[in-house]
Amino acid sequence: MRDAQSFDELYRGTARRLLRYGYAVTGDHTEAQDLVQEAFARAWRQWGRLSAHPAPEAWLRLVVARLATDRWRRLHRWRATLSRTGPPPDAPAPSEDGVLLVRALRQLPTAQRQALALHYLFDMSVEEIAREADVPVGTVKSWLSRGRSRLAALLPDLSTVKLEANDVS
Amino acid sequence: MSAELSDLYRSLSAAADDQELARPELVRRRADRRAHVRVAGTALAVAVLLGGVAVGGRLVLSADGATPLPPPADTPGPLPTWSTPPPSLSPSPPSPPPSRSTPSGTPPAPTTGAAAPRPPTSIPDRAFFVLAAANQTGQESRIEGPALPVLCTASYPSESTVVQRRGRYLAYKRPETPKGYVPDGSYRHTITIYRPGSADDALRDLRQAVRDCPRQELPDDGERTWRQRLLDPGRYGDESVLFEMRAPFLDVNGEPSGEEVRLVRAVRIDDVVTVLWEQGWEGTSAERGQVDADTRRAVAAIVDWLH
Repeated sequence: MRDAQSFDELYRGTARRLLRYGYAVTGDHTEAQDLVQEAFARAWRQWGRLSAHPAPEAWLRLVVARLATDRWRRLHRWRATLSRTGPPPDAPAPSEDGVLLVRALRQLPTAQRQALALHYLFDMSVEEIAREADVPVGTVKSWLSRGRSRLAALLPDLSTVKLEANDVS
Repeated sequence: MSAELSDLYRSLSAAADDQELARPELVRRRADRRAHVRVAGTALAVAVLLGGVAVGGRLVLSADGATPLPPPADTPGPLPTWSTPPPSLSPSPPSPPPSRSTPSGTPPAPTTGAAAPRPPTSIPDRAFFVLAAANQTGQESRIEGPALPVLCTASYPSESTVVQRRGRYLAYKRPETPKGYVPDGSYRHTITIYRPGSADDALRDLRQAVRDCPRQELPDDGERTWRQRLLDPGRYGDESVLFEMRAPFLDVNGEPSGEEVRLVRAVRIDDVVTVLWEQGWEGTSAERGQVDADTRRAVAAIVDWLH
């Protein structure tokens, strides 16, 4: 028997953060909404076991990221469709800064987008990201470093001084 | 004006926060309604996701259960036929359902004394069927791709008799799935004209390929073994081939959790063969009823075109 109440609590407590994460990774509001709902749908289907998971939010992040990666592949297949069906429905106008960042992030490899999002949105340390990604700490450092350098090149107004000062050691 | 990266992420978060989220009970209800949908690829996801992004798309090729794509089979035959336009990106008028006298979509026999129809040499847009309104997602793509899944090392001698082939991908939804939701499945749909009298060779080649490949492991698909077998094809067109592909579905813990099923049907109508290869969507399995219904539409559209 699956406990709907505990599922709903997890949803209310984490869905918003996951939506931010999905948006940071995909750069698209509709995609992010789809991914988050799909991740939670999958979580509910196996809630009997997942409810005992020590870190269900991390599990959901993995699913969101995996689906996002999958979508990127599908987008190649469906790009003609996207051009035919036009842009997604109107979304509230995001702030200019948010738009600039999203545009720049789209030009980064997926791993760098995900690592940056985990660091800036979830305040995760390099070690925590490495644990979640199951990769060496050095790999995460490289993702973050390269991602920031690329963003600095793409966003001339980005404060590179502070960026370096805040860099992960 | 200078900005810090953390500030930009805050702006991004604010933009995301403006988006609506469904209520949790709706998410649960949707998940239950789609209980047939397998949990796609999450075993792989846990193991490889962020770590796996280092190796990129290779991972996700297998994660949705779509069989890896072999070299494009959409190569034209001996005639330079790709100069014709690809399938229309806008839906053509719905195909009429098969008439009662031809429930399987078999084209009516030519009237005695009437001039035999000329063999077709090019495939018009109207030869491509339109999904039932309740199944439409509006997602269709003309991206090239193979007409058939990999079947061990099968080759198809009949490919040398291809006159023209056109194909598309199209996503469908179940009638109960609300508009705007993720599709429930997708097809690779192709139509191929063969030289007169050669289309039956194509189906023979396909039957043999399935028989010769009862089991296989596909590249980029983990260690799953796919099992193939011919099924009773039903009555469609002049003749048809139906086969299934089955592989264990692995849950989040890497444990087998049911099976993933793909259905592929090829139907011959005169010198034309149409193939519907159900490819699912993020791990969904093909359902015979849906594939049957769409096959009828596919055949009807071709019959309409040819006659």
